[in-house]
Amino acid sequence: MTSLSLIVALILLLTIALGLIRVLRGPTPTDRMLAAQLFGTTAVAILLLLGFATHSPVMTDVALVFALLTAVAAVTFVRRAEVDPMAPEQDVDDVPD
Amino acid sequence: MMSLIDLFSGALILASLPFFVAGTLGLLRFPDLYCRLHALTKADNLGLGLVVLALMLQAQSWLQVLRLLLIWLLVLIAGATVAHLIARKALAAGHRPWRRP
Amino acid sequence: MQRGDMWRRTAQLLAAYLLLWWLLTGGDRHSWLVGGVTVGLALAVALSLPAPAAALRISPVGLLLFIPYFLWQSLRGGIDVARRAYTPRLPLDPALIHYPLRLPPGSARIFLLNTVSLLPGTLSADVSADTLCVHLLDKQRDPELTQLEQRVAGLFAISLQERP
Repeated sequence: MTSLSLIVALILLLTIALGLIRVLRGPTPTDRMLAAQLFGTTAVAILLLLGFATHSPVMTDVALVFALLTAVAAVTFVRRAEVDPMAPEQDVDDVPD
Repeated sequence: MMSLIDLFSGALILASLPFFVAGTLGLLRFPDLYCRLHALTKADNLGLGLVVLALMLQAQSWLQVLRLLLIWLLVLIAGATVAHLIARKALAAGHRPWRRP
Repeated sequence: MQRGDMWRRTAQLLAAYLLLWWLLTGGDRHSWLVGGVTVGLALAVALSLPAPAAALRISPVGLLLFIPYFLWQSLRGGIDVARRAYTPRLPLDPALIHYPLRLPPGSARIFLLNTVSLLPGTLSADVSADTLCVHLLDKQRDPELTQLEQRVAGLFAISLQERP
């Protein structure tokens, strides 16, 4: 059970890394925010699995705070995005497709 | 030796993997923002639900069970609310959903 | 809001916050020194916000029926979207539909908005007056919105309005 939890936590970390491709590509700021949401859910799962594998119940608290913060961050983003959230960014250092 | 409960928890944890992978895959493959939102709100929340269920079976106390449930519910509510807010914002900005050509 | 409803709402919020604090701190007795103040502040903030039109009433039978329905639909929703993500030719046929709501405005409607996004193939995109704008992953598939609306009405022990 312990090693299984650790392995699954590692694979989940890998899916987060893959999700970073969407953050890099965008094309819109909202697409980037979506990836952050994905991390929110996946990171909570990783924290819970790590907490179980290492017998540290305090990880549950970390996961709880993470779940709350993700929600606050995402709502703040939507409320604050007064500029057209669908327009592709004009960053000079934008990653070309 | 593994008990029956451990076996069950292990199976649930393994079962959550394809859903997390599907969430990332949907995020990368789906054609527009709206479809990607579907992948996020459904696949990932189900994956987390399975992990939470697996850990509930291993919990030492009822308090721990309830806290795990609370975490899942929080993520569910946050995910659904944020998905709605993002979709509404995108619609208001005039972003037309992708249609099969 | 009626006076009785006001008391009812205060009592509900107080109970919810006390339970939350207990869950977060693991019932540590010393934590109630901070907890009492925190719960009081949270209650004051919640009551200073505009109150909903009516106090929340949840039917216990409705809740018992809703939980298994919700879990089953979440499972179906996750499997459905995962299957589409894995299929190489990407079987998506999205559409926006407008669904005339029969739930009255208020908590029940907000609850519906959130659950729609967790069920198979549907995403609540916008709500205006009495219409819910829903994004469908596949327009060939029945979104089952009427059924969901009926379940939510059962949960909140309210009856659906007649369609105009």
